[in-house]
Amino acid sequence: MSSLPPSTWQRLQSSREDAQNRADRTRTMSADENGDAADKEEQPDPIVTAFHERFQLFEKAIPVLFRSDHPCCAAPELDFASLDLDDEEDGTNNHHHRHDETTPKQPTTATVRVEDDDYDFDEEEDEPPPRKPATPPLEPSATQSSGSPAKETKVIAVTRAKLEADRKAAEEAAKRAFHTTFFTLETDRDAMLEQQKLDESDRQVNAEANAAQEAQPGKLANANLGASSLTLKHLIARIDATRERVKISDTELRNLMAEVRKNRSKWASEDKIGQEELYEAAEKVVLELRANTEHSTAFLNRVNKREAPDYYQIIKQPMDLGTVMKKLKQHQYKSKKEFVDDLNLIWANCLKYNADPSHFLRKHAKAMQKITAGLEPLIPDIVIRDRADVEAEEAGIVDADAEGESDDEPLMSSRGRKAPGTKKSRKGAAPQPREGTPDAKPPVVNLIRAESNPPGYHNDSQTTNNGFLTPTGGTPLPNGIANSIQLDMEHDKIDDDDKDPEYQAWKKITKKGRAKVASERHRLFGRTNKLNPDEPALIRSRTGMARQIKTLTKHVRGIEDEEDALIINEEEEAEGILLPDYYHPEALVPEIPWRTIWANDEGEVEMPDETLRLAPRGMFVQPPSELSKRIDANIKQMQETRKVCSKITVIKQMQVQTQMYANQFTKYDPKEFVEKDVDDFVISDNGPVMCPDVARAAFQRSIGKIFYHAGFEEFQPTAIDAATDIAIDYFHKIGKTLMTYHEAPQHERKFEPEEILLHTLTESGVDLDSLDFYLRDDVERLGTKLNSLHDRMKSHLADLLRPALADTTGDDTNFHDGSEQFVGGDFAEDIGDDFFGFKELGLDKEYGLASLSVPLHLLQSRMHNAYQPASSSNATAADGHKPPPPFEPVTGELIKQQVGIVQNFFLAKLHANADLPLVEDEDLPVKQRPPKPRLPPTGKITVPRKRPLSGQGQGSKKKKKPEPAAPHKKAEKMERTQSKQSDDGGGMMSPESLVA
Amino acid sequence: MAEKDKFKYRVEIQQMMFVSGETGEPSPETTGIIEEMVRGQVIEMLLQCTQLAARRGSRSISTDDLIFLIRHDKAKVSRLRTYLSWKDVRKTAKDQDPAGGGGAAEPGDLMEEAAANIGSGPAQMIKQKKTKVGLPWEVSSFFAETVPEREDDEDEDELEANQATLQRLKNADERTRGMTKDEYVHWSECRQASFTFRKGKRFKEWAGFGNVTEAKPNDDIVDILGFLTFEIVQTLTEEALKVKEQEDAVQKEQSMRNSKKRKREEFLFHAQEGRTPIEARHVVEAFRRLQTPKPKSRAMRNYSGGVMKTRLSLV
Repeated sequence: MSSLPPSTWQRLQSSREDAQNRADRTRTMSADENGDAADKEEQPDPIVTAFHERFQLFEKAIPVLFRSDHPCCAAPELDFASLDLDDEEDGTNNHHHRHDETTPKQPTTATVRVEDDDYDFDEEEDEPPPRKPATPPLEPSATQSSGSPAKETKVIAVTRAKLEADRKAAEEAAKRAFHTTFFTLETDRDAMLEQQKLDESDRQVNAEANAAQEAQPGKLANANLGASSLTLKHLIARIDATRERVKISDTELRNLMAEVRKNRSKWASEDKIGQEELYEAAEKVVLELRANTEHSTAFLNRVNKREAPDYYQIIKQPMDLGTVMKKLKQHQYKSKKEFVDDLNLIWANCLKYNADPSHFLRKHAKAMQKITAGLEPLIPDIVIRDRADVEAEEAGIVDADAEGESDDEPLMSSRGRKAPGTKKSRKGAAPQPREGTPDAKPPVVNLIRAESNPPGYHNDSQTTNNGFLTPTGGTPLPNGIANSIQLDMEHDKIDDDDKDPEYQAWKKITKKGRAKVASERHRLFGRTNKLNPDEPALIRSRTGMARQIKTLTKHVRGIEDEEDALIINEEEEAEGILLPDYYHPEALVPEIPWRTIWANDEGEVEMPDETLRLAPRGMFVQPPSELSKRIDANIKQMQETRKVCSKITVIKQMQVQTQMYANQFTKYDPKEFVEKDVDDFVISDNGPVMCPDVARAAFQRSIGKIFYHAGFEEFQPTAIDAATDIAIDYFHKIGKTLMTYHEAPQHERKFEPEEILLHTLTESGVDLDSLDFYLRDDVERLGTKLNSLHDRMKSHLADLLRPALADTTGDDTNFHDGSEQFVGGDFAEDIGDDFFGFKELGLDKEYGLASLSVPLHLLQSRMHNAYQPASSSNATAADGHKPPPPFEPVTGELIKQQVGIVQNFFLAKLHANADLPLVEDEDLPVKQRPPKPRLPPTGKITVPRKRPLSGQGQGSKKKKKPEPAAPHKKAEKMERTQSKQSDDGGGMMSPESLVA
Repeated sequence: MAEKDKFKYRVEIQQMMFVSGETGEPSPETTGIIEEMVRGQVIEMLLQCTQLAARRGSRSISTDDLIFLIRHDKAKVSRLRTYLSWKDVRKTAKDQDPAGGGGAAEPGDLMEEAAANIGSGPAQMIKQKKTKVGLPWEVSSFFAETVPEREDDEDEDELEANQATLQRLKNADERTRGMTKDEYVHWSECRQASFTFRKGKRFKEWAGFGNVTEAKPNDDIVDILGFLTFEIVQTLTEEALKVKEQEDAVQKEQSMRNSKKRKREEFLFHAQEGRTPIEARHVVEAFRRLQTPKPKSRAMRNYSGGVMKTRLSLV
C-alpha cells in the first residue's frame, strides 16, 4: 500500500467523490435509457459504487504491485493519467460503449428513441395517477400511445431494441468478466438440473401437442401449415396425394416444411392474419421465461395433485408455462391479451396458493412477474383475425401500399430482414379503419395504429372480446399493479442484498453452456466420480485447439487486443452457448515443456529424438544378481524335492491301501518360475515410470518368491496382500529416511553416501551383520541343506521301492537307488508282459508321477504284497501263533457236514450262485464284496470330542489355493495400464494350483 | 519370615549368580528383585505361548511354541535342543534299564554331560537313541514327507551351537581353574541349581500357571522353562556385573580426582577384598538395558508418531 505513489492516494480520495457523481449519472442514464423496471431498481447504492470504483482502481494497480517475470505479462510503467482515463472509460462509458456497439445498426431508432423518451415523460405528467418509480416501463409507452397512437409501433420497436441492446450489453459485460473474474463452479450442477427439467418440459409439451394433432390426422393441406401453403401449394398437394407412403408424422412434415421455407416462420399462416408476429414474439417470451431457470423451474409444469392435494380446490384455473407453450402450439391464442393473461395467471396462482409471505416460491413468482413485465412490450399488440373476415372487410377499401417504412422491423426475429409477416399483417390490417377512428394520418401509420389501437385506452378489460386490442398494460389484473409493485419491492430486498448484478448476468448468460458442460461431465463421470468406460473418449476439436493457440498467443502478445480475446466456437455460438475459456479443459493446460511437437503438415514431419520412445525392457523384473540367482536355485531345488516327496507319498499310500486308482493322486508337476516382463510400452520422458498397479504386482511377485523360499508351498491371497502392504510401507519408510539424511542441512555436515545408507539401515532396524547373516544363513546354507535333503529324499524313495523290486527280480542289484530302471520299462519286462503300450500312453522319459500312473495297479499290488506279508509275518512272529487255515469255499459236499439248521440257507445261496462254490466274503475281490452292513444306532449319546478352535486350525492347515481368477483380474488391470503382465503371476503364487 | 514366604528361590538364585560370575554374597533384596523379574519373564512367555497356541488352533502349549519365542537366539535354541534330546536319551535309557542311569546324572548336569560325551564313552548306545528335536520352521519340515534320520548327519547348526557351548565351558573352566577341590564341589553343586528340578509343583504355583494358561503344561514345558530361567538369571547377572563394573570405574575416577591431594596408599589386595556384591540398583539397570527396544522392533513405527507401546521383551 505504502508503496503507492502519492498521486494514487489522491486519486483514491477523489474517486470517492467521483463515485457519487458517477452513481448519479449512471442512475439517470439507466433511468432514461432503459425504462425497464428491473434496471431501474438496480440503481446502485453510492457506497457500493464507491467501493466499485476503488476496486477498479486497485485492480489497475495490481500489475504494478505484483510484477510478473513473464515477459508477456510484465505491465508497462503505471501511467496514472491513463489509469484515470481507463477508469473513466470503464466506469462510466460502459453504457455508451455498449450502445455504440449495438446501435449503429439502427441509427434511426436511436434518434427516435430519444424523442420518444422525452415525449414519454411529457405525457406522463398528464396522467392523473402519479407513478411510482418502479412502475413497469411499458406503461409510459402505453400511456403515450393513447395520446398519439401513431407512434405506438415505433415505441414497441424501440423497446425491443432497448431490450435487445441490454441483453447484448449484459452479454458483453459477462464476456468481459470472463477475463477479469473467475467464477466458481458450484452452481453448475443446479444449472444442469434446471436445464434438464426445462428440456423435459419441452419434450412433454411437444408430445402433448403432437398427441393433440395426431388425434385428428388429416390432410396436410388441412393442417395448418402457415403461409407456406400458398407458395408450396403444389408440393403440398403432391405430398397429400401420396401421404400414406410417407412414414413421418404431420408434425415432422410441418417442421420439414418450415425448414424448406427458411425465411418463413412456422407460425405463419395464410388464413390467420397477425398470427405469425404475435406467436413469434409470444414464443420468444415464453422461451425467455423458461430459460430463466433460476426462477422458472417451479412453473414449468402443471402442479401435481399428489404434491399439493388441495391445489385444485384453491386454484380454479391452473396455468403453467408448459400449458402456455402447448396452447401456443395449438394456436389457441387469439390476442396478446389472452397470452399475457395466461402468463400472469401463473404467477398470480402461485402467489395465491402460497399465501405465506415467507414461502420460497413467492420469491420466484415475483421474479418471474418482473421478468414478464419486462418482456411484455416485445409482443406486438395484435388480434388475430381470419383472412376471410378481413378480406370481406377489405372489399370496399382502397388498398394502401405499405412498404417504405420499415423502421419497426421487429428486432426479436433473429433473422436480419424484415419479417414478412409484419408486412402481411399490415396488408391485412390495412383496410380496417374501423369504428370511426380518425383517419387523417398517413396510411401506414394509420394502419398500424388502427390495428393495434383500441378506441379507448382505459377500457382495456372490456375490449378483449370484440377484437379490440388491449394496450400493453403491465398487468391485466386489477390488483395486479399494486401487487406487483409491492412484490417487486420485497423481491429487491431479498435479491439485491446478496447478489451481485454482474454475477447474475454472468450466470444467466452462461447458464446454457454451463449446463451442457456439467451434463457432459456427468455423463462422463457418472455418480461414482469414476470414468465411465463406455463413453466415447474426449477428443480435441479443431475449435478447441484454435482457441487454445489463440489464448496462448494472446497471452504472449498482451491483453490489449480485446478484439480476438474471445474466440467463440461457431457451433456453440449458434447454440447460444457462451462460456469462459476455463471451461474448456484444453485451455487449462499449464505451460508444460511438451515433448510432443505440434507441426503443421507441410511435407515431411521430422520426429525429434526426445519425443516418444520405447521404454527399456526389464523395468519390472528382478535385476540379475548373485542373490537372486541363489534364491532361484534354491526354489528350483525345493521343487525337485517336492516332486520326490509326492512320489514317496504315493508309495506309502500303496503300502497301506489295497486298491488304488490312477486318478487318486494329483500329479505334482511344478512349473519353473519365470518372471515375465511387461509388454512394450512407450514413454516420453526420462525418470521412473509411474505405474502403481504394475509396480505393486511386480513387488508382490517378489514377495511371493520370498514366501516360497521360506518354505511356504502355497499361501492365501490375503496373506500375500497383507505382506505386500507391509513391505511397501517399510520401503516407503526407508526411502523417507534416505531422503531425510540426503536433504539434511548442508551447512552443518554433509553425509557421505555410505553414511546415509548406514544410518538409514540402522534406523530401519537392519544392520550389515543381519544382512550378512541372512545371506549366509538363510540363502547359502539353506541351499546346501536343501541339497542334502534332496539327496536323502531320493535315497529314501529308493529304499521304499526296493522291496517291490526285489520281489520281481530276486536281486536288488539291478535297482540301486533306482526306480529309473523300474519306471523306464524294465519293470514291465520283468512281469513278463508287454507294457510298451503303456509307454505310449503315458510313460514319460522323465521319471515322474506320470510314469507311475499307468502301471499303477501292478506296482501297487506288488508294493502292497511286499509290505503286507512283511508286517503280518512280523506280527505272527511276535505272537507265536499260527494263523488258522483259511476257510474252504462252501460246496454241496461241505454243506452236508454243517449243522442242519444252516444247511437250507447254504443250499439256497448255492442255488443262487449256480452251484458254484461259495467264497468267503473276505476272500472276494474288493469290488465284489458286499457293502458292510450298517449298524443301528446304539442309543448312546456320543459326546463329540472337544476340539477348541478347530476351525481355525483346520483353516490354517488346509490352505485355500489362491483362486485362479485373481491373476487374470490382475492381468486385466495391468493391461489397462498399457503394460500387461503375464499370467505367470498366478503360477508364481502357487504352482500347484496350475497343476490341478 | 514374611520375606521368606515371598521369595522362594533365594538360594537357587544365589547359586546361579555364583555360577554366572558373582563371587560375593548378594543381598536378599537383589535376589528378590531378580526373582520378580524372572517370574515376570516366565509369565510373559506363557502368555505369548498361549497366544501362539491359540493361533495354531490348540489350547495347550507345545514345546515348539516355547522355542518359537526364542528362535532368534540361535545359540540358545541349539542349547535347548541339545538339552531336550539328551533328556530324551535319559528317559529311554531309564525305560530300558531302570536299574542303571539313576542318580548319577542329574538333569542339571546334562549340559556338561552332553558336551563331554560328544564322541566319547558309551556313545554307541546314546547315539542310536538320540533323536533330533525337529522344529517346524526348519528345512526338513518344508516338505510333506519326513526323512528318517541319518546317523552321519552332523548339522552345521549343531556345530555352531557346540561352539557356543564350548565357549561357555571354556569360560567356566577359566573360572574353576584356580579352585580347590572343595570350591569346585561347591561350584558344581551350584551349577545344578534349578527353578524346576524336583520342585515342579512349587514352580507352577510360583509362576501362576493356573492363572495364565488354561491347559496344563506338560513336564517338557516346565523343564524348558527351568532351563530358560537359568539362562535369564545368568544373563541378568552378567549384565548387572557389567553395570557394576562401569559404576565402579566411574566412582574410582571420581574418588581419584577427589583424593588427589591426600593420596591414599593402595593396598595390594584391596580391590579383591573390597569387592561388593551386586546390588538391586545394578540389577534394575541391567534389566532396563536389556529391555531397551531394539531398532528392529520400532522400525515399522518410524514416521508414524504416537507413543510406542512395547511389551516386555524376553531376556
